[in-house]
Amino acid sequence: MFNALFQETGPLGGRGPKEEMHLEPTMKQAVLRRTARKFCETRLSSAAGMMDRDARFPWDIAREMADLQYFGLEIPALYGGAGLDTASSAIVIEEIARVSAAMGLCVSVHNSVSAYPLYLYGDEGQRREYLIPLARGEKIGTFCLTEPNAGSDASSIETRAFLHGDEYVLNGNKIFVTNGGVSGVNLIFATLEGGQKDRGFSVFIVDSETRGLVKGPPEDLIGMRGNPVCPISLHDCRVPVKNRLGEEGEGLKIALSILDGGRIGIAAQALGIAQASLDLSLRYAKERQQFGKALSEFGAIKHFLADMATRIDAARLLVFRACHLKDKGRHHGRESAMAKVYASEAAVYAARIGIQIHGGYGCTKAYPIERLYRDSKVCEIYEGTSEVQRMIIARSLIHESV
Amino acid sequence: MNMVVAIKQVPDVPNIRIDRERMTVIREGVESIINPLDYVALEAALDLRNRHGGKVVALTMGPLQSEEALREALAAGADEGILLTDPAFAGADTLATSHVLARAISRTTPFPDLILCGMQTIDSDTGHVGPQIAEELDVPQVCGVSEIHVDEECLVVKRVSDGSLDSVRVTMPVVLTVTQHICEVRNLPLGALEAAFSEKSIVQWSMDQLGLEESEVGLSGSATQVWRLRPPPPRREGRVFDASPQELVDHLIRKLEGLSVLDEEEEDQ
Repeated sequence: MFNALFQETGPLGGRGPKEEMHLEPTMKQAVLRRTARKFCETRLSSAAGMMDRDARFPWDIAREMADLQYFGLEIPALYGGAGLDTASSAIVIEEIARVSAAMGLCVSVHNSVSAYPLYLYGDEGQRREYLIPLARGEKIGTFCLTEPNAGSDASSIETRAFLHGDEYVLNGNKIFVTNGGVSGVNLIFATLEGGQKDRGFSVFIVDSETRGLVKGPPEDLIGMRGNPVCPISLHDCRVPVKNRLGEEGEGLKIALSILDGGRIGIAAQALGIAQASLDLSLRYAKERQQFGKALSEFGAIKHFLADMATRIDAARLLVFRACHLKDKGRHHGRESAMAKVYASEAAVYAARIGIQIHGGYGCTKAYPIERLYRDSKVCEIYEGTSEVQRMIIARSLIHESV
Repeated sequence: MNMVVAIKQVPDVPNIRIDRERMTVIREGVESIINPLDYVALEAALDLRNRHGGKVVALTMGPLQSEEALREALAAGADEGILLTDPAFAGADTLATSHVLARAISRTTPFPDLILCGMQTIDSDTGHVGPQIAEELDVPQVCGVSEIHVDEECLVVKRVSDGSLDSVRVTMPVVLTVTQHICEVRNLPLGALEAAFSEKSIVQWSMDQLGLEESEVGLSGSATQVWRLRPPPPRREGRVFDASPQELVDHLIRKLEGLSVLDEEEEDQ
């Protein structure tokens, strides 16, 4: 029976008398959201404009956030993290992104696709040496997969690792590395020399100080400019065998499973941008007067606001559904793809309509809405384009149907 | 030093709603926060504990939802949380509230050396509860404290009073109500919040467990009753009159006479 649209099993993918619909946040999640919001509104919001204008990463605020465990969201306390579940982590990321999309991106990528893989797949030695500094925010992490010739087609990467004694020698070029400019620990994907495409696909933990790892100048981005995205190239970069994460050939499996979870964080980040757009638009629509009344009294504006809010609400439910599945240890590939594609498109929509509501003022730098517009676009592209997400969803539907 | 901090969960002011029957603020379903000055009091207690040792217990009276406030207090570092909750407590004025709080404090073992709370709340602004607790427990009180120092068996505290800054030496046990100047409020680490919910436990006491009668608590135990709650009248705009000085004076005198604020006087010629 075709049940992809949860007719049989419900949106939470299961059923039975013990299954509960969690449509409201728990007390803990409410306090968490309030705590994160308070910190971000008081400490981060004043820096958000500067980060964008000067394309500058706010180290001082990042250090404060590190002390408050924002860089170890889902890592257990044993390794210096906050030990939050996926839903709680998504809440925190949304609140950060609501104030600064660039910082939200930094925290999301660092947590979901850099620190968390180390926790899941790292052996004890790797956890001690690399996970603990990441969880404490002493070092910032990256996930280096994309190359000039390998974007959506991830398995065609050309970075090679050659085993030489007890070391791998890495050569290749990674581009668009989020957090690259400030990273201390990098997860580098490479294929083993002589290996076939996606056999021998492996991932290596490479400290930024390693000889042969060269960071290029940060990209001049249209949005999220406070995040130092840069190319990282490897020139005979020698990495000890003990730095290989997982087994040889496990790299693609690791990458794909990590991206499932990373998608949730990225969706939460897009949600923050969307929510901020709605908040700004609501305020402006109530204040701005034309033809003797507030904009919010006009039908067209009402429709805009209603559509923005509905999409944001739907996106949030999709995100929390994916979180729920992940926290229950269930497959969440399709659901996280749905959350990512929907939330990112909601963010772009909300920011665009936000500028429309702000009118001419929305096109000036004096109002923050234009920054949200520029920040939102890449959400539909990174961590798997909307096209790739649709492919994932469709494949899963086709595969599951009779 | 054993300390009890009385905290109150208050509505996040913009979202206030009013129960017209009980003439109190409806707290259920509304985003609630720890009264800011109570949070400051908690931070002050934690600071004293970190420097001089001891224990900090967070105490609150409220509906079950108030557990949230205690969890936050635990996340900030409180050692224990006590929730005083009972349907009979609802509708309490400050006297009935203080009576319940004082009873709970008298039942904590050991009896605290220091009882702290914020000088006033952002929802009712009365500033009554601290002094009322002190009176019930028959301990001294100092209100509006901005600094606390430990001096052997005593405390030396500073408080602003009628334009002067007083230094007061007081023995313990004592009730102190604090102002925002007492210390900096720190940010909560996320892991502490997680731990406060999963690891620490909260004690719950009902009316019966406190040995109280219905007549002593809640609406029945209140000496005052909110008669009417209304928003303040809209601010009337000032009006500007532009005329010669003599005309303005004549006009003003007529206005003041109309408002009956001038004494009857023999008019000089």
